[in-house]
Amino acid sequence: MASTLFRTIQIHPFLLYPTALFSRRNGVLYCTMKSSQTQTATQEKQQPPKVKVPQHALKKTVDKITRDYEAIIGIETHVQLSTLTKAFCSCPYNYGSQPNTSICPICMGLPGALPVLNSKVIKFAVKLGLALNCKLSLNSKFDRKQYFYPDLPKGYQISQFDIPIATGGYVDLDLPLEFGGGHRKFGITRVHMEEDAGKLLHSGNGDYSQEITSLTSIYSYFSKHTVDLNRAGVPLLEIVSEPDMRTGIEAAEYAAELQRVVRYLGISNGNMQEGSLRCDVNVSIRPVGQSEFGTKVEIKNLNSFSSINRAIDFEISRQALLHSQGQSDQIVQETRLWEEGAQKTVTMRKKEGLSDYRYFPEPDLPEVILTQEYVDSISNSLPELPEAKRRRYEKMGLSMQDVLFLANDMNVAEYFDATLSSGADIKLAANWIMGDIAAYMKNEKLSINDIKLTPQELAELIASIKSGTISGKIGKEILSELLAKGGTVKGLIEEKDLIQIADPVEIGKMIDKVISENPKQLEQYRGGKTKLQGFFAGQVMKLSKGKANPGLLNKILLEKLNGQS
Amino acid sequence: MGSRALLMLTNFNFKTTVSSFGSASNPFFLIKNNLRTRNFSTKTRSSLQPPDLPGLAETARISLAPNEVEEFAPKIGQVIDWFGQLQAVDLDNVEPAIRADTEGDNLREDAPQTFENKEALIASVPSYEEPYIKVPKVLNKE
Repeated sequence: MASTLFRTIQIHPFLLYPTALFSRRNGVLYCTMKSSQTQTATQEKQQPPKVKVPQHALKKTVDKITRDYEAIIGIETHVQLSTLTKAFCSCPYNYGSQPNTSICPICMGLPGALPVLNSKVIKFAVKLGLALNCKLSLNSKFDRKQYFYPDLPKGYQISQFDIPIATGGYVDLDLPLEFGGGHRKFGITRVHMEEDAGKLLHSGNGDYSQEITSLTSIYSYFSKHTVDLNRAGVPLLEIVSEPDMRTGIEAAEYAAELQRVVRYLGISNGNMQEGSLRCDVNVSIRPVGQSEFGTKVEIKNLNSFSSINRAIDFEISRQALLHSQGQSDQIVQETRLWEEGAQKTVTMRKKEGLSDYRYFPEPDLPEVILTQEYVDSISNSLPELPEAKRRRYEKMGLSMQDVLFLANDMNVAEYFDATLSSGADIKLAANWIMGDIAAYMKNEKLSINDIKLTPQELAELIASIKSGTISGKIGKEILSELLAKGGTVKGLIEEKDLIQIADPVEIGKMIDKVISENPKQLEQYRGGKTKLQGFFAGQVMKLSKGKANPGLLNKILLEKLNGQS
Repeated sequence: MGSRALLMLTNFNFKTTVSSFGSASNPFFLIKNNLRTRNFSTKTRSSLQPPDLPGLAETARISLAPNEVEEFAPKIGQVIDWFGQLQAVDLDNVEPAIRADTEGDNLREDAPQTFENKEALIASVPSYEEPYIKVPKVLNKE
């Protein structure tokens, strides 16, 4: 069904703008050839400016169908906590350890073993609950969620059911400008504590172990199943959003904001590739104006923000097409998998029915009791969160693009803040960090904590340029040396004799020398070829080894060229 | 499977007896009415009817022969009846409790400790193929 839609979309621009389409397909899109049927409008959004024409034609066709529908998107996110030990036993957890080495009777679910809760799990849950503006339950409990799956040794997962530790919050975020910008607020239904399952490996076809709690048999055709229990019992926080998102971009940005929040809080590395941040997305659509929800479809196997975005927009198009063709009965409650290679969602299991997890209170664990003093002390120790940081940067007068860049990574933001507290100009500091420093980090594959340039020296560098001690050009040269080798701005200036020449007499002498050595050019200049000023300026700058103050140089040069000496 | 079934059932009885006091009128397999305001999709059953035993066995992955169903049905019925007695307790003036024990937190520091006798753990795994535990292909019941 979906393929019909996409074929139509593709044919359109193809006929109208064949060359443009080819250049797009060859150069811009990063998906594989197989995906020819499934290039949705989403990908166009990913690659905005390059080829405008087919993008429009393509978008139009999709828009025509999707315009009449509204998508309702909710997300369940599992965050793996960066505790040293598991949730209910003292087994250390390190991603990538030898399989089945970090195990004990408790996480293996052996009879008689009793769980004891890691205090850090509560601490991290409270941090996240507060950061997401939730109401905390001072009294909560754990429950057993029972299901059978080979990655779950106990036959139940210790989770929280009817009384989660945090409820009713929200998260604020700013959409990037390339996606239209704008501020959004998305509701958080709940945050609860639970334990992870082991890692199921289906030999021959990668690892789909994430949260497959199904009792059905989609994997039955695989030859061998093995399990690694290192991850069994590792603490997770599950964050359930309100169904507040409407587009793939909003959903992807929601997930990105959660990643920022958990990283700022230091409770998880938020790494999606390693599965430390996992998102399951629910998508339904309804005709615009209708108040009841449509049938919702769950999508799993989303390993990056862009796959969240693309999977959702694919799913919206698929459902909208079925609706528009009067086949909305074919949208069924099911779980679909996002296939990165084919860029489409496929049925994983249908008819989930009402899973009967037979929850009951975990008898082996006591009630979780928080005191108000405990909550307050954590509240007081929270770092400045991404949203607060963005608003503060915005108030400083930075553009939204600068704000989003700087606040995206907590370490970059800290570096920026430290540069400012050393007295640097706000906009100049932002420019240096987002420009030369970011480029250097990208080239050298370093994080901002790895570079040798301290924020104090960056501030010094900015001040030295601003005061005219060194030129901007020299500043850039010094920067690369400081980034790679460290040292101080003052030391380098002295060592290399880089102080800017701002003495008019000295500059004048150099200009005289250059003019006298280039009589031909002088003649041409005076004959009306005034563009040659640039030539003279370049020669003087070269003579000064880049140290001449450019403003002064040009001023004196102009005077001299125009025969005032 | 037979011995496992028995184990599950004993487990079942025990857990029920212990935990039910914590959540007063709320034994786990008879989610009758929830004290909290939340409304979950779990099926509501009218009060204290004995469960459909073959169905219950299926959910617990226990194979029961028809004669075993006959044997266990009255025992399960008995358990249900115990809860019937609990229903009679007057709780009008009792604050709902989350858990029976009110002592609260018994927490652990986040300090790693490696379990020493790993060989014994691995040795007890029914099917092990270095370094993985081999598991059944799939458990499909629904």
